[in-house]
Amino acid sequence: MYHLALKMLLGDRAKFVMLVGGLTFATLLMTQQAAVFFGLLTWTTSHMRNMRAKLWVVDRKVEQANELKALRDTDVNRVRSAPGVAWAVPVYMTIQSAKLADGNFKPVQLVGLDNTTLVGRPPVILQGRLEDVRLPNAVILDELGVKRLSAGRAKPLGLGDTFELNDKEARIVAICRADRHFFGYPYTYATYTQALQFAPKQRKMLSLVLAEPAPGWTLAAAASSIEAETGMKAYTEDELFWSTIWWYFRNTGIPVAFMSIILLGLIVGTTISGQTFYAFVHENLRHLGALKAMGASNGLLARMLLVQSLTVGFLGYGLGALMVTAFGRSVLARGEPPFMMPWQLPVGTFLAVMGICCLSALLGIRKVWNIEPAIVFRG
Amino acid sequence: MQASTQLAVHIRAVTKTFGTGEAAVRALKGVDFDARQGELLMIVGPSGCGKTTLLSVIAGTLDFEAGEVEVFGSSLHGMKPREVTEFRKRHVGFIFQQFNLIPTLTLIENVCVPLLINGTGRRVAEQKSAALLDRLGLQGRGHELPRNLSGGQQQRVAIARALVHEPRLVICDEPTSALDKDTGALIMELLRDIARHPDRTVIVVTHDNRIFKHADRLTEMEDGRVQRVHDQAGNSGENGGSSLFPPSPKLIT
Repeated sequence: MYHLALKMLLGDRAKFVMLVGGLTFATLLMTQQAAVFFGLLTWTTSHMRNMRAKLWVVDRKVEQANELKALRDTDVNRVRSAPGVAWAVPVYMTIQSAKLADGNFKPVQLVGLDNTTLVGRPPVILQGRLEDVRLPNAVILDELGVKRLSAGRAKPLGLGDTFELNDKEARIVAICRADRHFFGYPYTYATYTQALQFAPKQRKMLSLVLAEPAPGWTLAAAASSIEAETGMKAYTEDELFWSTIWWYFRNTGIPVAFMSIILLGLIVGTTISGQTFYAFVHENLRHLGALKAMGASNGLLARMLLVQSLTVGFLGYGLGALMVTAFGRSVLARGEPPFMMPWQLPVGTFLAVMGICCLSALLGIRKVWNIEPAIVFRG
Repeated sequence: MQASTQLAVHIRAVTKTFGTGEAAVRALKGVDFDARQGELLMIVGPSGCGKTTLLSVIAGTLDFEAGEVEVFGSSLHGMKPREVTEFRKRHVGFIFQQFNLIPTLTLIENVCVPLLINGTGRRVAEQKSAALLDRLGLQGRGHELPRNLSGGQQQRVAIARALVHEPRLVICDEPTSALDKDTGALIMELLRDIARHPDRTVIVVTHDNRIFKHADRLTEMEDGRVQRVHDQAGNSGENGGSSLFPPSPKLIT
């Protein structure tokens, strides 16, 4: 009977297209917006993937990775002296203006790395040598920086080229790949000492301290020890990640904006699918009543409706997922807008679409369940 | 073939009311009714007299309040809904006024529905359906959609659908009302043939007095009750009255 149920559905082209279209749209909206949202959230924690450290020591009022409050230079030694700390290095982070060849300015994220260890160095060096960053006026620029700062030049910036960073000459000694900054600024790495020379002098210049627990110390124990000894806040990598994410949930309208669109997708999908499927069932009520009169049980009719509903669900989801994948591939190639699709996202959307379909089928099943087979004898 | 005296349907004192309170309508007011195996019996009467309600009760598609309904020896009154559904699935074939063919399915697919509901495999069901359509004069048209057929042809498909699972009771609701006179007569000839099977009973509800002549007996209803039962011999049961069967040409002359 199920193949006949599908033929009944496919025979009503307009409703079939409407159902599949509605579910495709819902899938597209929910998955694409969620992927952009996750991508954006991921960008908020880009510092952590670009610097990679087990312990992040910051001012005790700092709640997230993009809003650092400067520490005193001596604080790095206080962290080093805390029990359970294997090593600790200073990092300076600031937004500086880079001057383009055409006279325009672009902001860059300047990261000052510990001169000796270069802890917090960029994850992937594409051209040049990391160690050359210790040369005078040297910087390592990421791919986005090369693209952005090359504006107005005859050819893209490369190794050995210079540009103005806060009115001082910066020479590119390496090009790296780094995760995209939340605000879209290119990452520019220098040594800690060099970074302090690029940036205007302030009373406190240390942004944060990266540290690692001593052997035998857990991350939590070492973090507690640092906090107890220094009065600063010591985050494990995981803690800072979630603290940053939740900070954006609590303090920005980003989650609400995205959630409302995702919810809209769910509502539109449910409404279109539910209403269309209900109309389909309503129009076929006489035929379904005839099937019931002929001995089709409520269970069989319910299963037929479920097969119809889930079939359009699979098709709609499949088309929507394909479109999102195509969108994702195109934006990932361009680098923006943000896009991140962990496996949980398509699975979640799939379950949502199947939920919509089950709900739609349920409306129809309720109707069919209640019809008397004698309906077929009424003119 | 003559109808046997064995009862296919035996109904006593059946009542059915629609609605409640002041809006209640008593559609059946203690109906007594019998149909024999191997006969074509028509239920006739004016609109609203309870014909279709009685047909629905016989078919097991409508509950009734009181009385006794036995179909081929099985009492519908004591059956659970699932058992009634099972009973209909195996023993009852339906022919509807508006044919009720599913427009998006081919003729073969429409006909094989009762077989599929009964659990027959798809291939076997389609073969049996195609063969039956051939026998009913629709050779080679099994893969067409119902909309390509005339009313008479559609009713033939509906008849095929009603017979494909070889039911013992065939229920027909105004089978000729949507057809012209000649086509209606052809359809009634077909139903007449079907009723010649000694183990089968065909019950037809109709307004159409042009087809009365095809019945073995006529059950005349009025105001929720059976008034008279007429047979071909001119007998009109205990209530008397004139026969509803048209006079034979011999008598007219």
